Amino acid sequence: MRKIITILFLAILGYYMVDLMNQIPFGEDRMNVGRHYLENTIAETGSVNTVTSIVVSYRGFDTLGEVTVLFLAATGLGAILFDKRGKKRRKQNASSLVKTTSKLLYPLIVLLGAYVFVHGHLTPGGGFQGGAIIATGVLMMYMSYRRFETNHKALTIIESMAGLTFVSIGMGGLILGQGFLANFLPLGEPNMLFSAGIIPIIYSAVGFKVGAELTGVLDTLLKTIR
Amino acid sequence: MNLNFSPVHFIAVPLFAAFLLPLLGRISQKLVTLVPGIVLLYLSAVALTLFPQAYNEPIVEIIAGWRPPFGITLVFGPLAAFLVTMITLIGFVVWIYSYRFIIRAPLEKYYMLFMLLIAGSTGIILTGDIFNLFVFLEITAIAAYSLTAFLRDHNGAEAAFKYLLIGSFASAFVLLAIIILYANVGTLNMADIAVRMGDVPAKIKLTIMILFIVGLGIEAELFPLNGWAPDAYSQAPSPIGAVFAGIVVKAAVYALMRVLFTLFDLPTSSHFLVVMGTITLLIAEMSAMRQQQIKRMLAFSSIGQMGLVLVAFGLGTREGIAAALFLMFSHAIIKTLLFFSAGYLVFFSGFKNISDLEGVGREKPWTGFFFSLGALAIIGLPPFSGFWGKFYLLISAANASHIFLIVLILFSAVIEAVYYLRVVGRLYFKKLHDIEIRRTPFTGLLAMGILAIVTITIGVYPDFIYELVLPAADELLDKAAYLQYAMMGQ
Repeated sequence: MRKIITILFLAILGYYMVDLMNQIPFGEDRMNVGRHYLENTIAETGSVNTVTSIVVSYRGFDTLGEVTVLFLAATGLGAILFDKRGKKRRKQNASSLVKTTSKLLYPLIVLLGAYVFVHGHLTPGGGFQGGAIIATGVLMMYMSYRRFETNHKALTIIESMAGLTFVSIGMGGLILGQGFLANFLPLGEPNMLFSAGIIPIIYSAVGFKVGAELTGVLDTLLKTIR
Repeated sequence: MNLNFSPVHFIAVPLFAAFLLPLLGRISQKLVTLVPGIVLLYLSAVALTLFPQAYNEPIVEIIAGWRPPFGITLVFGPLAAFLVTMITLIGFVVWIYSYRFIIRAPLEKYYMLFMLLIAGSTGIILTGDIFNLFVFLEITAIAAYSLTAFLRDHNGAEAAFKYLLIGSFASAFVLLAIIILYANVGTLNMADIAVRMGDVPAKIKLTIMILFIVGLGIEAELFPLNGWAPDAYSQAPSPIGAVFAGIVVKAAVYALMRVLFTLFDLPTSSHFLVVMGTITLLIAEMSAMRQQQIKRMLAFSSIGQMGLVLVAFGLGTREGIAAALFLMFSHAIIKTLLFFSAGYLVFFSGFKNISDLEGVGREKPWTGFFFSLGALAIIGLPPFSGFWGKFYLLISAANASHIFLIVLILFSAVIEAVYYLRVVGRLYFKKLHDIEIRRTPFTGLLAMGILAIVTITIGVYPDFIYELVLPAADELLDKAAYLQYAMMGQ
């Protein structure tokens, strides 16, 4: 009986949501803020990737918040699983085919991750994507080599330093009188690697941070599995 | 060079400290406990310096150099100034209490989460951007989930998981509301949205409002969305229970009120608030009476007080909102005091049940005294701040000629008196069980002493706070002025 009521309730809710979505005028020009971003990105931020300019510059404060959310998730996990840490993993390796391929791919994956976050203001991608790619490479190594270890202390230090860099750059803008997270470096020539002022620096910091955090989460979880 | 204080310090400095703490933890654990205190002291100094400025003329700070509506702004008007100052000062007192109370590893993780909880709650209040508000809501909520399970026992994990599930719903609903809102108005600055709200069809507007009320209502402990609260309050470490009651729920109530008052027109929602507040109040007070565990009782009492605050906001008059803000302030002080003293009472007896606390008050005169003082204050007896909160609410209810509200408020005060005095009675007039009595650290007594002095001082000079909440109430009511300065005259 309870299930039927729940399903009925959800169906009514779903119907209203679909009905509502149909009423939203998709495709019509309602982008009051979005249009401004599309038209003025390169001139105002020096970044040719509009998404990056919104994420790191126009709404950089939100990104600082999102980085904090990820940091919180990793910290919270570490706090809750604190007693259970330090378990040894089972030492059973994958087949030699998997091992050799992983060994070959691992540096390339890390390189790709670094490329993605360094070029965040030029090509699709950025700090979050690059960091996630790096963590994927580490996960692959964890799965193929049972003896593979990461230095958890080093990860914590990278995480902290990257976070401190982000906030310090923000405070730099404030001290120079242009406002928190303001782009106080020269914008340079669009399409060049060294352009867009603080955007590549922040995105690199985010890349390091996300990479170290996700690797740390993997490490914590792998060592708690019984 | 610009080294002046500005509102962004409230968010940037605790974030910086949170990122720094793991590094400090490698050097010394002493630094890990000291730095959060220094940060909170600094933030209190910033708050007290900016306070007069904000009352004179609201400070609008542009982030990253993009003028509204293209960038994110922080709006530091009287309302934000009042609540942020309250949060930083209570945060500082919680730090004093935690100094000797939290001795369990991992210390740096506790203080990191605590710093981020403060940063998130102040961020909710400061921001002028609806998506930024969501980001800070997430920060606050995730820090709160982790801290609930900090003691790493079975009950804590269960409470945290419950909170996590319900909290995720809250986030999803708020995000959905923001998506629909953005699809219709194409902007995220709250003042800009409010200006363009007229073009949105009434049906969509109603849906957005319902989604916001459900999402933010979960965090603001609105009935029937508050199922997570009693577990989270009672299973979290005592200082964190105090932070939930004194800081987190206040920020959530602010968010709900900012959305309802600024984005939507009030009259459609005010009756709703009075009714929901009344139900929340009655059910929470009834439940509080039945509790066996002291911290669960405090949690239900906290929900009840939030119901009272919602009723006061729902009146929608200048006096009503001022009473609501006064109640929020008074409750933040008193409930923090109650959680602090209950924390040590539980610690002394080693049990969470009220029946195990018999006679502890005679054995531990100071802690028992502070609990009794908090109990009398929250019931609303003079000369404590709680009396004036209820008094202002009664006057505004009488002015709005809601006779049934007056009956309701007095009735709830009677219920509160019953269950609080029952505990106080057991503390003093029963024989002590055979338990080992430990010393209360000086820092714990200091934290409770500060709060007790504040509640008595405000009880004697209520006008001091009342004159501060009136301009804050005006800010919430005067939508046109808010739109004017939050958009920086554009």
